[in-house]
Parts: sequence; C-alpha cells; structure tokens
Amino acid sequence: MKKKRNFLNLFLTGMVLLSFKAVTAQETMYLPVDSLGNITSLIQSDVDKLKKLKFTGYFQGQFQYIDLAGMKSFEGGNFPAASDKRFSVRRGRLKVQYDNVFSQYVVQIDVTEKGVSFKDAYALFTDNWSHSIAIKTGVFDRPFGHEISYSSHLRESPERARWEQTLFPGERDLGSMITFNPPKTSRFNWIKVNAGLFCGNGINPEFDSQKDFIGQISLSKSAWEERIKWGIGASYYEGGVYQGTKYLYSLKPLSDGSEGFKVDSADANKDRQALRQYYGADAQFSIDLPSGMTTLRAEYIFGSQPAGASSSSSISSGTAPTTDTYIRPFDGFNAYFIQNIAHTKHDIVVKYDWYDPNTKVEGLAVKSTYKDGENTKSTKLSAADMKYTTWGFGYVYHMDEHVKLTAYYALVKNESTTLKGYEKDLKDNVLTLRVQYKF
Amino acid sequence: MKKFLILVALTSITFAFTLPLATIKIKGSDTLLPLAQKWAENYMKNNTNISITVTGGGSGVGIAALIDGTTDIATASRKIKMDERLKLQEAGKAFKEVIVANDALSVIVNPGNKVSQLTREQIEGIFTGKFTNWNQVGGEDMKIVAYSRESSSGTFEFFKDHVLNKKNFASSCLMMPATGSIIQSISQTKGAIGYVGMAYVNDKVKDISVSYDKGKTYVLPTMQNATNKTYPIVRPLYFYYLSKVEKNVKPFIDWILTASGQKVVADIGYIPLQK
Repeated sequence: MKKKRNFLNLFLTGMVLLSFKAVTAQETMYLPVDSLGNITSLIQSDVDKLKKLKFTGYFQGQFQYIDLAGMKSFEGGNFPAASDKRFSVRRGRLKVQYDNVFSQYVVQIDVTEKGVSFKDAYALFTDNWSHSIAIKTGVFDRPFGHEISYSSHLRESPERARWEQTLFPGERDLGSMITFNPPKTSRFNWIKVNAGLFCGNGINPEFDSQKDFIGQISLSKSAWEERIKWGIGASYYEGGVYQGTKYLYSLKPLSDGSEGFKVDSADANKDRQALRQYYGADAQFSIDLPSGMTTLRAEYIFGSQPAGASSSSSISSGTAPTTDTYIRPFDGFNAYFIQNIAHTKHDIVVKYDWYDPNTKVEGLAVKSTYKDGENTKSTKLSAADMKYTTWGFGYVYHMDEHVKLTAYYALVKNESTTLKGYEKDLKDNVLTLRVQYKF
Repeated sequence: MKKFLILVALTSITFAFTLPLATIKIKGSDTLLPLAQKWAENYMKNNTNISITVTGGGSGVGIAALIDGTTDIATASRKIKMDERLKLQEAGKAFKEVIVANDALSVIVNPGNKVSQLTREQIEGIFTGKFTNWNQVGGEDMKIVAYSRESSSGTFEFFKDHVLNKKNFASSCLMMPATGSIIQSISQTKGAIGYVGMAYVNDKVKDISVSYDKGKTYVLPTMQNATNKTYPIVRPLYFYYLSKVEKNVKPFIDWILTASGQKVVADIGYIPLQK
C-alpha cells in the first residue's frame, strides 16, 4: 500500500512538471492584428520622440605620482605644494544632445571634485537640400588641427600635448562656424572645410570687438578594402590679443649677439590688438593587419603668440588684460604611435611632443640678463621661453565598450637654460593610472 | 530524501527537453535575410537545442548591433568599414569575417517596360540623373522613376561603388528602406527602375541584361552567368561575429560552409561559394 502511494505521488509530480509547459502555452494570448498594429504604432511614435534625446558621458578617475611635490604639470594640472601623489576625477562629463532632422542642440557639463563647469553649449543647423552645409553657434571645440576636437575619452594618452593646452586652453571658444562636409552618400564626403569667427578667450564672456578667424580643411579616406584609413589637414588661425598697456615687447638682437625682448612703449600701443597667428598641419594613418591595428598621428604648428611676461598661455579670461604684451614666435609638434596587439584588448602607446614657446632662443641663450658694455641688463626672458619635450609611454586595456584602463608615464624634459632654477631638467615626470567608464 | 532526489531528477529531465541550451541572434543585411532565415530554419531542425533569430535592417544596422553587443552575428552585403573596425577596437572587441555566399545584383524594371538591356554607362546615367526619360536609353517616351536602397544598406554601397563608379545618386532617386519595398514600388510603376539581390526577383518585376563592354555583350543575371562570372555585378556576402562568441556560433557557420549549407544558397537563388 505504501509502495502504491509512493508511486502515485511520483507519477503525479511528473505529470505536473510535464504539463507545466502545456499550461503556459495555453495561457499565451493572441490579440487581433489590428489591435496589435495600433499598439505598435503608439509605441513607435513614443520611441521616435525618445530617440531624439541622447545622453552620453564618461568618467575618468585616476591616481598620479610626480617626481617632486608641488611641481607644475601639464599632465592634469599642477600638483599641490605638499603633494607628489594624488587621486582625482579628471573628467566627469555628461552630454545631452537633442537631434531633430536638420538641427541639433548640445549641452555638456563636467563634474569633478573641483566643481561643476560647462564645456559645450551650442546649436547646429544643417541645410536640408544638400545636407552638406552646417552652421554651429555657441561654445564648442575650436576647429584647429586634429587633437583639439579628438575626444578625451578616445585619446590614448591622458592629456593633450603641452602646446595644445597652452595655445588653446579648454579647447573651446565662443563663436560661430560654418562647415562644408558632404554626407556619406556623396562622392565628396571625404572633404571637410570649417571656417569660423570666435571671441578668442575660451569659455568666457566676450570683452572686446575683436573676433578671431579659424579656418581648416581636412581630407579623410579609406583604402585597400577598408583596411587603411588616412587623413590630412591644414589649419589657420588669425586673431588679436588686446594690449592692456602701452608696453609691447618683441624679440630683437641684443648687443651681445643674443636675442632678447625689447620694448616699444608708444602710447598708441594701448588698446590695440597684437597679432595672434597660427599655421597648422596634421596627418593620421591607420592600418588593420593581422598583427593588430596600427595608428600613426602627427601634428605641427607654428606662428606668433602674444601673451604675458611669465607665461605664453593664450588669454582665457572674461576681462581685458592689464599686463604688458610679449610677442613670441613659437612652434609645437606631437606624434602618436598606437599598436593594438593582435586584435586583443591591449594597446601600446608611444607619444612624443614638443612645445617651443620662443624659437628665437634656445638652451643657454635663454637667460635673464646680458652684458651691454659695462652694464648688465635684463633680457626679459623667463621660464615662459623655455622649450619642453615630452615622451609618453602607455598601455591601454579596453575591457569592453564601457570600461578602459590606462597606465601612462610622461617623461618631461625641459631645455637646460641659464635661468635660475632651470639650469637642469626639472623633476616633473608623471605616472598616471586611470580608469574610464563611458556610456 | 529518496523522494526529493527523484523529484529533482524529474525536474531536470523536464527542463532538458523543453528549454534550448543556446541562442544565436543574427541581424543585418536585407539581402541576406531570406538566406539567413532558411539556414536558421534548416539548422534548427537538426539541432533542436539551438534557437536562432534572424532580423534585417541593413548591413550598417547589423554591424552597429555587433559593436554595441546586441547581436551575435552581423550579416552584411558589404565589407566592414574602417570606422567600424576602429569602433570595435575601441570597445575591445575582436571580430572575425566569413564569406558565406555570393550574390548577383539584378537591375529590375516594370514588366510593362520594353527596355530589356542597358549598358553600365546607361545605368549610371539613369541613377545619377543624367537620363530622365526612357526614350534616352532606347525605350518609350516615359519618365524614369529610379528607386534605390537607403545609405545604411550594403547593397546601396556596392551599387554606388561598382555600378555608378562612386558617383552620387540623383536627388530625385527614391530611397527605400527594404528590398521588398523596391520590388513592390517597381511592380506598380511602369517607368520604375531599381536594383535588388537576384534572389528577390519575382514575376512582378523584370530583370534586364547588363553590358560592361559598352554594348558589345549583354548578360542576364542568372545562376549560371553569376557562377561562371560572365555576369559582372556579383558580390560576396559576409557574416561578422565577435571572437568571444565563436564557440557558440562556429558550429552553425561551419555547417553553412558545407555542401548542405551551400545547397540552401543555390535553392534560394544566391550563388554558392566555389569549392
């Protein structure tokens, strides 16, 4: 009897389990086709509206170590006086983009431990005939060179080259730009031309009538059955920097044969604009081989930079400068070699850049004084005239489409000068360990 | 305890027979859609523990889905682009490419259209807007209505690169989201012309012979002419998949490359791979 009951229990259990699928199949509901159509249409309408609004962003948290506490650095900003190690949120970007068919509105903010700041705020309008011409107005990346507008979340080194940070602080400016860039259906889709007028003082309110012109032409094409991509570009910047005083310094030969700053103190200098003029060229090349993707990028810039006595940085302020103006001929260069290892998640990065803020003086000729007969006079040269070269060596691990890990060492070398404190290379090499999350 | 063990055993056996062990998602080319669906159907008959879903949308849509991880296999009627390779590399995703079949592109017109052959130059002229009336290319006095696939389509890319010699489509060209809509439109419009994969051609439309030697010889898109390479508009069809799902998808792809899988290609109207 007991055996019979056990068998019955097992049989019933088995039947319950096997019938489970049949029961769930019977519970499936079939709606009439026209009702399904209505529901789909409603959902599609809502989805179409929602698809216009896009949220993207990325977070970069990092740990850094510098050779000596308190050193100035272009690897994410100067170190505090008592610190040679730091944690920081280097970037915490949130970008909101609303796309209509021929218009777009973008706002981007940056949230870090230093506070909240805005990066981009612009509207973009595209012509609805050829889809080739667009007008952008607001605050956005200056259209110069390649790396300025190459997003930080893609860039293999933690920071942009020193010359870019110095000449284009914040990358962005307030202005309007027209772009010619045919759509991908056009046979000319490999040409892009930008031309714009900008305030010239970064993400700040305008304070004068001077408008700077930036023009750029870039060409980009694929080849060899989409295994090669190459690009070249040329850029031009012409603008002015407000002369806050009548003292205008420019480089002239000195009595001892070296170069130094000599002053022009005409009253008419005050309130005039000092010429700010840059010429740039850039090239990019990527090839996909069985050994992995290899990428080479390079940029060169030269020109004339009006700035202050102790820094060659471009103006980045909402108020007119009140200091003397120094005109320096400069040049800068950066090159990347990036090798993906055999289509794995690993990349090796080597970067080289230089920034020479004053190409007329070098090495020991960068000195603070010179002999004029019996007298010792000031050359007005400073650390702002010193050339820096930086080698960077990095490893990047692409965990997935959201997470990237970077280890990067920047070997920073300044030229040896006669200036006090700058006779030798400064201890400002930086190790950066970074985690990035992107969405 | 014994009852409990028997209950667990019964439960396991039940689930073993009712739930698939693996799923494969395939997305992408409209050209490949009927072929991929037939492959999936045939493969699942002999592999009941595999569930394969197939959707279209275009080659570009499929590869975008591969990049963002929402498909296992992206089907494409064009090669993956360098920008797409760079995006996959940035996402840390290694991928593999397999040619699974070939396809002939048919240029089709309405069955009521008297024109039955065109040179490549004439086809280029029609789709770039140089010719706007059929009487300019040997037909009757009738406006030409040109249909094309949208730019996300691999078929669009191939046609533009290989037939139009990279020239732009005329702005008057009507862009359609899917092959089926091109067939439908051409069947209803007497002056219409378009291009579709050979497998899609049915009795509602008429395919025309094409000449690539300025009118010396005209070749009709047939299986034989595509296989013996006398028909000039033939292209490979691709599967792309991420290396990390290779274990899951490779048995299916390996079967596609066997004689059984390639027989499906011929049956549907595509061009099997040469042995």
